[in-house]
Amino acid sequence: MEKTIRLTVNGEEKTLKIGVQQTLLEVLREDLGLTGTKKGCNQGECGACTVLLDGKPVSSCLLLAVKADGKTVLTIEGLAQAGELHPMQQAFNEKGAIQCGFCSPGMILVAKSLLERNPNPSTQEIKEAIAGNICRCTGYLQIIEAIRSFVS
Amino acid sequence: MNDYNYIGKEIPRVDGPAKATGQAVYTVDVKLPEMLYGKILRSPHPHARLLKVDTSAAEQLPGVEAVITGEDLQEVRYAFVDTPRYPADEQPLATEKVRYIGDEVAAVAAESEAIAEKALSLIKVEYEILPAVFDPEKAMQEGAPVIHGEQSASTSFWEDWGVAQQKKTVQEDPSINNLSGHTFVSFGDVEQAFQEADYSREDRFELKPTAHCQMEPHAAVASYNPLEDKLHVWLSTQGIFLKRLFLSKTLGLPASKIRVHHSFVGGAFGGKIDLFPYEFCAAYLSIKTRRPVKIELDREEVFMTTRQRHPIIVKIKTGVKKDGTILAQDIRVIADNGGYRGSGPVVIFLCHGFSFPVYNVPNYRYEGFSIYTNNGIRGPQRGHGAPQIRFAIDSHLDLIARDLDLDLLTIMHKNVRQEGDVLPNGDRLDSCGLTECLMGAAGAIDWQKKREQSHLQANGNRYRRGVGISLCSMFSGAMYYPFASAAVVKMHDDGSATLFTGAQDIGQGSYTTMSQVLAEELGIGIEDICVVAGDTELCPIDLGSFLSCTALVTGNAVKKAAADAKRQMLESAADLLGLADPAGLKTQNKMIYLEDDPQKSVSFAQAIQASVLKRDGNPIIGRGSFKGYPRTERYPSLAKAKGLFTGAYGFAAQAAEVEVDTLTGLVRLVKAVTFHDCGFPLNKTVVEGQIHGCVSMGAGQALSEEVHLEKGQLFNPSFLHYQLPIALDTPESAEGLVATIEPSGPFGAKEVGEGCVAGILGAIANAVHDAIGVRIYSLPITPEKVLRALKKI
Ligand code: FES
Ligand code: FES
Repeated sequence: MEKTIRLTVNGEEKTLKIGVQQTLLEVLREDLGLTGTKKGCNQGECGACTVLLDGKPVSSCLLLAVKADGKTVLTIEGLAQAGELHPMQQAFNEKGAIQCGFCSPGMILVAKSLLERNPNPSTQEIKEAIAGNICRCTGYLQIIEAIRSFVS
Repeated sequence: MNDYNYIGKEIPRVDGPAKATGQAVYTVDVKLPEMLYGKILRSPHPHARLLKVDTSAAEQLPGVEAVITGEDLQEVRYAFVDTPRYPADEQPLATEKVRYIGDEVAAVAAESEAIAEKALSLIKVEYEILPAVFDPEKAMQEGAPVIHGEQSASTSFWEDWGVAQQKKTVQEDPSINNLSGHTFVSFGDVEQAFQEADYSREDRFELKPTAHCQMEPHAAVASYNPLEDKLHVWLSTQGIFLKRLFLSKTLGLPASKIRVHHSFVGGAFGGKIDLFPYEFCAAYLSIKTRRPVKIELDREEVFMTTRQRHPIIVKIKTGVKKDGTILAQDIRVIADNGGYRGSGPVVIFLCHGFSFPVYNVPNYRYEGFSIYTNNGIRGPQRGHGAPQIRFAIDSHLDLIARDLDLDLLTIMHKNVRQEGDVLPNGDRLDSCGLTECLMGAAGAIDWQKKREQSHLQANGNRYRRGVGISLCSMFSGAMYYPFASAAVVKMHDDGSATLFTGAQDIGQGSYTTMSQVLAEELGIGIEDICVVAGDTELCPIDLGSFLSCTALVTGNAVKKAAADAKRQMLESAADLLGLADPAGLKTQNKMIYLEDDPQKSVSFAQAIQASVLKRDGNPIIGRGSFKGYPRTERYPSLAKAKGLFTGAYGFAAQAAEVEVDTLTGLVRLVKAVTFHDCGFPLNKTVVEGQIHGCVSMGAGQALSEEVHLEKGQLFNPSFLHYQLPIALDTPESAEGLVATIEPSGPFGAKEVGEGCVAGILGAIANAVHDAIGVRIYSLPITPEKVLRALKKI
């Protein structure tokens, strides 16, 4: 069965005809070609597919796209503006928080939304915020450091 | 310490922006027009004879383009180990038998994943179930079910390459059942030395299988173009030339008719080097259907059917003098390699290879057995044998230290190898910072004070702390296909450069460190370098990103290529400046100048343009190459461990402080310390990142990670149940880089990416003993094992 939904993706309004069983992750990756959002497990256990839905992090592999109807989605492709990296992307790169990079899109979006909610998180709060995002490469230290670099 | 401009600097990753913005294309992101989707039917039985595979209903399903079974591929054999002694034993799709749960039986290509999935359910397979065996010690016994036993008719890679060291031999010890590999090494007089020892003890350690957990699942896209008779593939891999060789051999296509294209790799850790059936099937199905085919494994398949770290049993006996000097060691290793050989013979060789470089053991005997069972296949995983053997040896030494009432540090200091030592196989330790690493790690964990404190802890305390330490070593490359790495530096007429390298950045930062090597040698900025990598058509050969060869082997190739380009530019500049020869010319910032008279200068661009116009049209292309190990033409013998192994050993000392909750049995890693001798760190941020990743993986494998198998069935094929470290598990951490300057390394660099996954295991195990006064002999140290050791359950 198909349904038409309206989504604002990275600032652009889209009207999409989608299958009702499609997840938001599938719509982003397959229908819109936004492959920056990654599929690590498709089970809601790794956070690689995290996008911001109305500003809040969600695992897009767990969310049926029809549930996002009328909402605003920010994916990693929408973060850098006018060819300039977002400060969080910059910090991740400078602090060594990116290795293979597969977790990075989700991790960066979670970090951004954490700082919007809580501009001065403690190290423990940072760890809690990214606890649902698995990174096998970095051991998390440089990721935590990158986020901490925004804390005064 | 040096006045380098780029080397040793914390330069951000050159591939960072692409990865941070989602632009980096991984294999899972590749989508081609008209692409089909492939799926694989797998055996639900651990051991069964294949009686009949009926694909007729699946073939009828609309949207199905092709269905293949073992019938189509009778003769195809391949394996990670493919030598005269150990002929290839894997097949892309089973023909006579299946040997583990997940073994591939048939593959489908269809218009969508859903149709392919549906088609799988329509394939009817008749099996005759055979008795199975899951415990390697049982599998070794007489009367155990025989898992293999077939003879291979094909020649091995090594024979094809003309470097085979001996004729085919059959398994040498028929008294051991299901033997897939055997390593035996001995030097000195072990029996005599044990008699002379003041004290000896014997222990048995065990490690469970663990998973790599690369965040990008395994995937392949293949696209056969009949007009060029060429197969294009995108593979999530860490060794493009080895994969091309595997594909060429199994598909019967010349290597030049296969092109592995670049794609980013979302983590590898050793688990993306073997050829996998899904890769072969994608290629085969594309050739058959003349359409691109993509096969992406789901997470459960990745856990079940790619590779796991070998579960290993280590029996070890050591004889020492009263003062802790090691006189003799006798080690016996049994590795369970699952239903196929995988890297079994390699891991038992490497357990020796990572045992003997650390302590000077004058009388030594090592015997390793790799054994077939009906479990999943085991292959290389970060450290490949080092975690298992280092955990066993250093846990055992800690026990000896306790028995003799000596400080473990004293024993370690007394026995560690030193710079200048020559190992029994002839490898030289031209750089070895073990002693400094040991001192650094002990200092950073506050060894003396913490060990005294742990003795003073009241017995009734619920939370108990302890510290432990362990050492490790790792190769920096070796002689395996394609036996060398090469690099090409192409200069552009604006003075900038493109580096062509076959090395794949799997997250370890090689595009960045190789750019630094090039920038330093040539005298240009990082921003003036473009890296073209990971493409078999465009790039010269490379060993691949495993066995930690990139820094040393690829690094040397890049440095030589840069030097070659520079030499040509200086010759052209000397002409322009009217100098008799280029001696005395230096480069910096894309300028060439006379050292004694810096006013006399020309730009790279001018030198290049002059070269084109005045020197045979030479646009300046530098080339360099470096062998896996320059001192030999041979790969080492896996069975006898003879021959040279590696050009340089990386070393590390790792210490851990843990807190054990004696009520719940939960162990928390409070602090992890690593002092690593990586020769010279090409990029501190990158090196520290490698260490953190190793420590995290090692800590996970010490405390919680285990692939749970029950009669060959996987019980926890998901991240949630597998329990790898999450951010909340991150310990306090301290690192020290012990710069020893490896003379054979580019700017002194050698291995860093693997070794220090190993020492943290023994460090944690020793720390747990220190905390609770009881030894746990098997990893992972789960709450249940702790409570059992404390006799609370
Ligand atoms: S892909 Fe969605 S959580 Fe892993
Ligand atoms: S950088 Fe590889 S998983 Fe995080």
